Amino acid sequence: MSILKMSFTGRRSLALTATAVAVALAATGCGGDSDSGAPALPGNPGLGGDGVVAQSVYDAAPVATDADIPAGSAMDAIRKRGYLSVGGSLDAPLLSQQNPVSGTIEGFDADMAKLLAKYITGKTEVKTTTIGTQTREAMLQAKSVDVVFQTYTITPQRATQIAFAGPYLTSGLAVGVRKDDTSIKSVKDLAGKTVIVGANTPAVTALPSAAPGSKQIAFGTDPQALQALLQKRGDAYVQDFTLLASGAKANPGMKVVGEPFTTEAYGIGLNREDAQFKEFVNKWLTKIQADGTWAKVWEATLGSVVEGGAPTPPALGSADGS
Amino acid sequence: MDALTAHLSELGHGLVTTVELTVVTTVGAMLLGIIVATLRIAPVPLLRAIGTAYVEVFQNLPLLALLVLFVFALPTIGITFPLFTSAAIVIAVYEGAYLAEAIRAGINTVGVGQAEAARAIGLTFGQSLRHVILPQGLRAVIQPIGNICIALLMNTSLAAAVGVVELTQAANTVNLIEAQPLAVFTGAGLAYMLLALIIGQVTGLLERRLAIVR
Repeated sequence: MSILKMSFTGRRSLALTATAVAVALAATGCGGDSDSGAPALPGNPGLGGDGVVAQSVYDAAPVATDADIPAGSAMDAIRKRGYLSVGGSLDAPLLSQQNPVSGTIEGFDADMAKLLAKYITGKTEVKTTTIGTQTREAMLQAKSVDVVFQTYTITPQRATQIAFAGPYLTSGLAVGVRKDDTSIKSVKDLAGKTVIVGANTPAVTALPSAAPGSKQIAFGTDPQALQALLQKRGDAYVQDFTLLASGAKANPGMKVVGEPFTTEAYGIGLNREDAQFKEFVNKWLTKIQADGTWAKVWEATLGSVVEGGAPTPPALGSADGS
Repeated sequence: MDALTAHLSELGHGLVTTVELTVVTTVGAMLLGIIVATLRIAPVPLLRAIGTAYVEVFQNLPLLALLVLFVFALPTIGITFPLFTSAAIVIAVYEGAYLAEAIRAGINTVGVGQAEAARAIGLTFGQSLRHVILPQGLRAVIQPIGNICIALLMNTSLAAAVGVVELTQAANTVNLIEAQPLAVFTGAGLAYMLLALIIGQVTGLLERRLAIVR
């Protein structure tokens, strides 16, 4: 339990502390987990039966009125088409992961996309295109997808290429190490160490300033990076806290140390030309945050590895670039 | 364009790694190719079977799958190579299968009379290969070998998936900062094109110097 120092201040830190406690519990294998013993599969954490958002949440979710959708707008085109075209992932536990049995995509991002589809078309019908992180801007500019839900960090540089609605979720980078490692207690201990990062993740650019003197190696996917950590190709794995938390739950060989050392604001990627669409999506976000839908989705997905209830959703437009 | 010029050193390091990987791998694949082609024409049936099995296995597996297996599966049985070494070994082994087939095609162009003549003057199998058959066979397939080397250059980009920072990975990283995929990947693409053109030029030069006109 001593691996985590609780030293947060402010409102957001409540959620972070809750996350930290849950991760400590998951990592040490103790605590009130009913399913402790056999490691649970990420994405099937057992909350609310099979860990997916209940149908009642979809059913109760808001639908835009005709007045919200002017003829000829992007929303109008989507409503006529009957489904929302989404750029996302299939391999991110708790965020956007395809269930190999049912074929449905589950997780926070996936459910947000379904709810936006419902808001526009009245049905939760989405068509998900898996896209690499390196082609998200190009896909949006070419209008190959309507929106991108992919833990897409809002940055001012990216905002010159595309538009971000939101932020709809905040998190931060944290440090994962092997379970038996006691030499690394926070990001400050990473100097001179070899650090594994996900290629094309914010860790690549954040690490040199957060841990000067560390050496990076990058792997294409989160499972690969986790495997590389367990196989001692590096001393630590720096990745988003939510991903590390689900990784620690699924892999008894790793643990998360220290508190998140950055604040990432995730936005919904949109084509930059269409200001009307951005305004529309932001209005939808305000609605689902206010009526509690957002919190229900969070609890069923990310909340299943975090104790203490849903955090306060981030304020719209609070990130530089949104 | 600013996205490229602001990160010339990162992209330059990536380019150097790509060239190193290509050169090391080409040499390794060439040696493997000659050995495997020799196995495939060897007088001993078992050796021929080994050569055939090698070609069939490595031509029928995707390179990316081989890379991921080599980098992540071997450590589970206690064997861990550095990432660059891993990528170089896997790509050389994979491309060796293709080169072996090109070299075998070259060997088939050498007249049967040449091999019989070599045997008639008392050369062993190894000697007739070294002095008579391979020199003529290789010179017949310079162009196909050059094409395989270009494919090899392009395939080195897959090393990015297993953590080697070559040109593609460097471009990925730069794009992460600049968020301008079109500019960054066009730049990287042009660099690959330039390298491929150089290989093509060298191949053409060798072809003109060495090819046997029949």
